[in-house]
Amino acid sequence: MTGSPKVPILVARGLDDRKRSLLIWIVSIGAFCAAIVAIYPSIEDTLTDVMDGYPDALKEAFAVEDLNTPGQYLHAELLGLILPLALAWFAIRAIARDLPSAAENSFLDVLLSAPVSRRQLVATSFVGTAIELAAITLAAAAITRVTAMVLGVDLSLGDSVAGMINMWPLALFFAGVSILINGLRVQSALVSGLAAGLLVLMYVVDVIGRLAPDLDFLRYGSVFRYYGMAIEDGIDPASFFGVTAVAILVALAGALLFDRRDLPG
Amino acid sequence: MAAIETKRLSKFYGAHRGIEQITLSVERGEVFGFLGPNGAGKTTLIRTLLDLLHPTSGSATVLGLDSHRDRIEIRKRIGNLAGDFSWQPKRTGSELLSLIAGLRGVTEMDYAQALAERFNADLTRPLGQLSRGNRQKIGLLQALFHRPDLLILDEPTGGLDPLMQEEFMAVVSEERERGATVFLSSHELDEVQRMCDRAGIIRDGRLVAVEDIGELMSKSDRKVSFTLAETDIDPGEFRDLDGVGNFSADGPEISFTHRGPIDPVVKLLSRHTVVELDLTHPSLEELFLAYYTGGRSTGDRPDSGDGDEAAG
Ligand SMILES: Nc1ncnc2c1ncn2[C@@H]1O[C@H](COP(=O)(O)OP(=O)(O)OP(=O)(O)O)[C@@H](O)[C@H]1O
Ligand SMILES: [Mg+2]
Repeated sequence: MTGSPKVPILVARGLDDRKRSLLIWIVSIGAFCAAIVAIYPSIEDTLTDVMDGYPDALKEAFAVEDLNTPGQYLHAELLGLILPLALAWFAIRAIARDLPSAAENSFLDVLLSAPVSRRQLVATSFVGTAIELAAITLAAAAITRVTAMVLGVDLSLGDSVAGMINMWPLALFFAGVSILINGLRVQSALVSGLAAGLLVLMYVVDVIGRLAPDLDFLRYGSVFRYYGMAIEDGIDPASFFGVTAVAILVALAGALLFDRRDLPG
Repeated sequence: MAAIETKRLSKFYGAHRGIEQITLSVERGEVFGFLGPNGAGKTTLIRTLLDLLHPTSGSATVLGLDSHRDRIEIRKRIGNLAGDFSWQPKRTGSELLSLIAGLRGVTEMDYAQALAERFNADLTRPLGQLSRGNRQKIGLLQALFHRPDLLILDEPTGGLDPLMQEEFMAVVSEERERGATVFLSSHELDEVQRMCDRAGIIRDGRLVAVEDIGELMSKSDRKVSFTLAETDIDPGEFRDLDGVGNFSADGPEISFTHRGPIDPVVKLLSRHTVVELDLTHPSLEELFLAYYTGGRSTGDRPDSGDGDEAAG
């Protein structure tokens, strides 16, 4: 998809454009993770009682069995829902800004007057988003681990990294979905709207599938089915690389569609 | 080989007409003006040539290359200024230029610098803080700085003040001398008349005329008007000259249109004391109006570029 140094030039420029917003994301997510870790020591002893009070269905829905370890606690509080949704939204917005919005603002007319192809623009946006997602998840892992160490919470660096980086394929999948939607002729606002809609739908389908065993088959259509609990169980390579591969394929399809459509003037 | 060649090129936006059946050939090394009112299809044609829009039917080549299949090769060799040029408002002109230079593999920035000085362009301020005209200068720079074989400029003088328009015209004539082809769109006949070798007129999406501007001017009537010092002259001697039309005389003030060698007029005038003399060619606008709003008897039926009926 690259074949020339143009994609690296464009990726570097994109990262430079967004270094501020990236920093804000890292600081906010890092602060949130640190806060969640920080309250662990004070509630650690009561967590088991709390859990016993919850109905089984609720635990099932949130894929939480026990809260006996810091890993289970962090999954319930951070990694089960809030952070994956936030990062997927980050990825959707990153693509929407780079492709449909930039096209509507006529910025792409300028880039496409230089010897750059639309596929290279798509590759740039996808790769840039992947790098930013890696930066956010790794920074969050480091901050979480450092906070745990300082407060004497038992969480290894490996588990922290595994838990955080496990969100990378999932968020990247929604970058791919946004690229695919951008390949169809829709307005920029619709790209993020539709991708976010799919994100919520897939999450809901996953919850329903877990609650109703009869509907478990539905979960195979949701990317959340392949997400798991890496902070406790480690990363499942098949899911990790499988979802990453699907994200790339979906983005490729989007790139081919984008090549075939008109750009708004 | 033509710099730009289109064959029955049409672009519809759904049911809306963009351009229709445009057959046009722009020669290497010429400055070609593409004229038409708002909504005529100028931008549509240009964006189709650049593969930003895909034609509904017909085909186009640019520098002998297929507009879609060879788009990257074409982009290497052209400079383009979009009609509504805009770029990230937080970025400066020099940041944009160095990005484009990187993508084009251009390291030589002397000409960019020289152009910036000539246009008095501010490369250090974010584009969002520049006035429309000053932003347009940045757009011109990014189209010109790598000295492309073909310049495609959509309303290049939009927003430029008269001084900068002059500078732009000077740059265009230098580009022509260098051997580059310039294809520009405009609403302003006057500007096209001064810069271009040929002009095409587009109306309602159709190419209605392609004219050589020098030829058009030379085969057209000139307007002669003068005031003589004497009051007791016989205007008849002017009226009777060959090629005179639309004659009017108001005492010593005489005006008429004239076609053919000017010498007899000058010789006759020299026998009088001339107070005021004005010799003008009609503007391109008047010519085109005469040609395309019914007054076709004044000249040869112009080639309409394609075989279609010329509208209007
Ligand atoms: N995205 C679009 N969707 C639908 N119709 C469009 C679109 N873009 C342009 N058109 C239509 O195509 C026609 C030609 O428009 P175009 O922008 O090419 O005109 P133009 O000659 O460049 O006008 P101007 O001098 O105002 O720049 C117009 O009737 C316009 O309404
Ligand atoms: Mg236009």
